[in-house]
Amino acid sequence: MTTQALAQVLASGLLMGLIYALIAVGLSLIFGLMDVVNFAHGEFLMIAMYATFGLVLATQLDPVVLMPLVAALLFALGGASYLGVVRFAMRAKANQGMVQIFATFGLAILLQGVAQYLFTPDYRNVQNTWLGGRTLEVGGVFLPWPQIFGAVVSLAAFGGLHLLMSRTDFGRALEATREDQGAVALVGIDRNRVFALGWGLGAALVGLAGAVLAVFYYIHPQVGASFALIAYVTVALGGFGSVAGALVAGVIVGLVEAFTAVILPPALKSVGVYALYLAVVFVRPQGLFGRL
Amino acid sequence: MIRRRDLLVGGAGALALAGAGLRPARAADEVVVGVLYAMSGASAQVGVDARHAIETALDIVNADHALDLPLAKGTGLPGLGGAKIRLVFADHQADPQKGRAEAERLITQDKVAALVGCYQSAVSNTVSATAERYGVPFVCADSSSPSLHRRNLKFFFRPAAHDEMFSAAMFDFLDAQRAKGQTIGSVALFFEDTIYGVDSANVQRKLAGERGYKVVADIKYKTNSPSLTAEVQQLKTANADVLLPTSYTTDAILLTKTMAELGYKPKSMLAQAAGFAEKVTYDTVGDKLQGLISRGSFSLDLAAKRPSVGAVNALYKARAARDLNDNSSRQFMALLVLADAVNRAGSTDGQKIRAALSATDIPGAQTIMPWKRVAFGPDGQNTEADPVLLQWVGDKFVTVFPDSAAVAPALWPMKA
Repeated sequence: MTTQALAQVLASGLLMGLIYALIAVGLSLIFGLMDVVNFAHGEFLMIAMYATFGLVLATQLDPVVLMPLVAALLFALGGASYLGVVRFAMRAKANQGMVQIFATFGLAILLQGVAQYLFTPDYRNVQNTWLGGRTLEVGGVFLPWPQIFGAVVSLAAFGGLHLLMSRTDFGRALEATREDQGAVALVGIDRNRVFALGWGLGAALVGLAGAVLAVFYYIHPQVGASFALIAYVTVALGGFGSVAGALVAGVIVGLVEAFTAVILPPALKSVGVYALYLAVVFVRPQGLFGRL
Repeated sequence: MIRRRDLLVGGAGALALAGAGLRPARAADEVVVGVLYAMSGASAQVGVDARHAIETALDIVNADHALDLPLAKGTGLPGLGGAKIRLVFADHQADPQKGRAEAERLITQDKVAALVGCYQSAVSNTVSATAERYGVPFVCADSSSPSLHRRNLKFFFRPAAHDEMFSAAMFDFLDAQRAKGQTIGSVALFFEDTIYGVDSANVQRKLAGERGYKVVADIKYKTNSPSLTAEVQQLKTANADVLLPTSYTTDAILLTKTMAELGYKPKSMLAQAAGFAEKVTYDTVGDKLQGLISRGSFSLDLAAKRPSVGAVNALYKARAARDLNDNSSRQFMALLVLADAVNRAGSTDGQKIRAALSATDIPGAQTIMPWKRVAFGPDGQNTEADPVLLQWVGDKFVTVFPDSAAVAPALWPMKA
C-alpha cells in the first residue's frame, strides 16, 4: 500500500469519524442526562435529512444556510418526543427501563412509517449545493468538501456543547439533574423542563448531522438504521453519557472502519469496530470515558 | 354481571362471524395469486413499483384490451369460464425468513393458486422452497441469481434471464468491443454481499478467466453501508478498464457519489442492473453515469420491435407516475405468463398449473421484452430470454447490444 493510499484512508476515516461523533453525541447526551437510550435516534437523523431536503426545495437556499433552522426543528421534535412519549414511559412502576426502550423503539417504527407514507420510499438527493460534489485534492489525497464541512461543524458543535455545559446556568442545571434528579427539585429546578430541553438539545445535534449528511448522502425513510447502529457502538465505546467520549470514540470508529476495510474484505469492515468494542468491554466495560 | 373476559370472548366470536360473512366467495369465479415484495424497508420503492406493474398486468387480464398480449382481449380467463384473477400482496421486507413466513401464510390462509415475486434473490430462494413444499407454482419475476433454478425444484419458473445469461452477454459485448480494436485488458468486480452479488461475481470471475480479462479488483462490500470510501479507494488504485458493479439502489447511489468525491472516473462501467436499472439512481447521480452500460431485460426503445410496449407503458405510467424499467417490465410479464398458464390449465390446482406452465409457449412478439419466446426448460428457466445491454445517454437508456436489438452503437469508453 502506498503512502498516498494510506493517507487517503486515514483522512477519509478521520472525516467520517468526526461525522459519526456528531451523530452519536446527542444519543450520549440524553443517556447521560436520564439513563434512557433513545432507539429513535436514527429516525431523528432521517427526519433531519428530510427536513433539509424539504427546506431546500421550499426556500431554494443552500443546506449550509438552512442548518440552524433544521437544528431548531429537531430541537422541537426532541422536546416533543420527551413530553409526548418518554415522560409517560418514565412513569412506569415496574420494568421502567424496558418500557422506555420499547417506547422509543415504537417511536422509531412510527417515524419510519410516517416518513414512508408522506415522502414515499423513493430515494432523495439534495441537488446543486455549494459543497455537493466538490473535492479538495492535497497531494493526491481527495477530501470531499461536504465531509470537511461536516467535520468542522462537528468540532464546532463539540466546542459549543462544552461551553454550554460548563459556562451556562442551563448547562449547570443539566449537570445537576444528571447527578441527582431528586435533589434538584429541592432547589427549584423543574426536572421535566430540564429533560425536555436535554432531549431538544440532543435532537438538535443530530439535526446538524442530518443537514451535513443530506449534502452527500441519499435520503430515504430507512436511512437512519445504518447510522444508528454506528451511533450506539460509538456511545458504548466512548462511555455512556460522556460527551468527550463520543468525540474520541466517533473518530476511532471512523478510523478502525476505514482500516478494517483495507485489511479484511470490505464486507467485513464493521467487524473491526465491534471487535474493538468487545476488547474495550474486557478492560473498561463502562467505555473509554465512562464513569463507574 | 358481565365480566371483561366474557366480553372479549364474545367479541372475538362476533368478529370471527363477521369475518366469515365478509370473506369473498372462493368459487371458480376468481383465481387468487399471492405477490411477495418488500413494501417497506430500504427496497420498498421496488415493491411499490412492482405492485403497480403487476396490477397493470392484472388489468390487462381482467379487463378487455386491444393489445397483442396473452389474455388481453376479452375479460378474465376464458379457460375458467371468465374467472378473474385476484391479487393478495405480502410484504417480505427483503428478509428471506419473513418471505418464507409470508409465503406460508398466503398458501395456507389465503389459499393462493400461485405465487409471484420477489426481487431479492435471497428471498426468492426461501419463497420458492416453501412453494415447492406445498406444491404451489412460483413464478420468479425478477430475481436473477443463477442458483435459483438449479435446485431441482418442480414448481419454480423464471421467464426472464438469469445472471449467467446476463453476464455472458456482458462479456460477449466486451469481446465485440475488443474485436473492434478497443483495448480492454482488465476488469474490477464490485458486488454486494448477499446471494445476488455473490452469484453475479462468481459468474463474472469465471467468464473473465475464460475469456482472458484480468481481474484486478475483487471487492465484496457490505450492502447498505454508511460509507464506501475505503472500497472505492481500492477500485481507484486498481483502475480497471471496466468496472463491473452488482449493487442495489442504495449502494449504487453511494458508490457513484463516493467515486466522484474521491476523483475516481472509471474508464467504463458495465453494471448488473438492479440499482443501476432504477431511474431514481439516474435522477440523483445520472450526470456522473453518462455512458454507463447496464445489462437489461427491457428498454422503452423496444417499442420499435414490440408494438405493445408503448401502450403498456402508458397504462403503467398512469398508475406509477414513472416509466417501465428493467424490473417493472419483468414483474408485469410474470403475471401475464402465469395467467396464460392458469387459463390453459383450466383449474386452480397446483399440479395442473405447473403442467401448463411447463408447456408454455408464448412468442416474443406477444411480450414487451426482447425475448425470442417464453418456453421453460425442465429446470423452470426460460432459455430464450435474450438479454440486452442498455447505455445511459443524455437522460435515457439506449439499447446498444446485441446488434439484432441495438438502436445505436455503443459509446466506448464511457464519458462521465
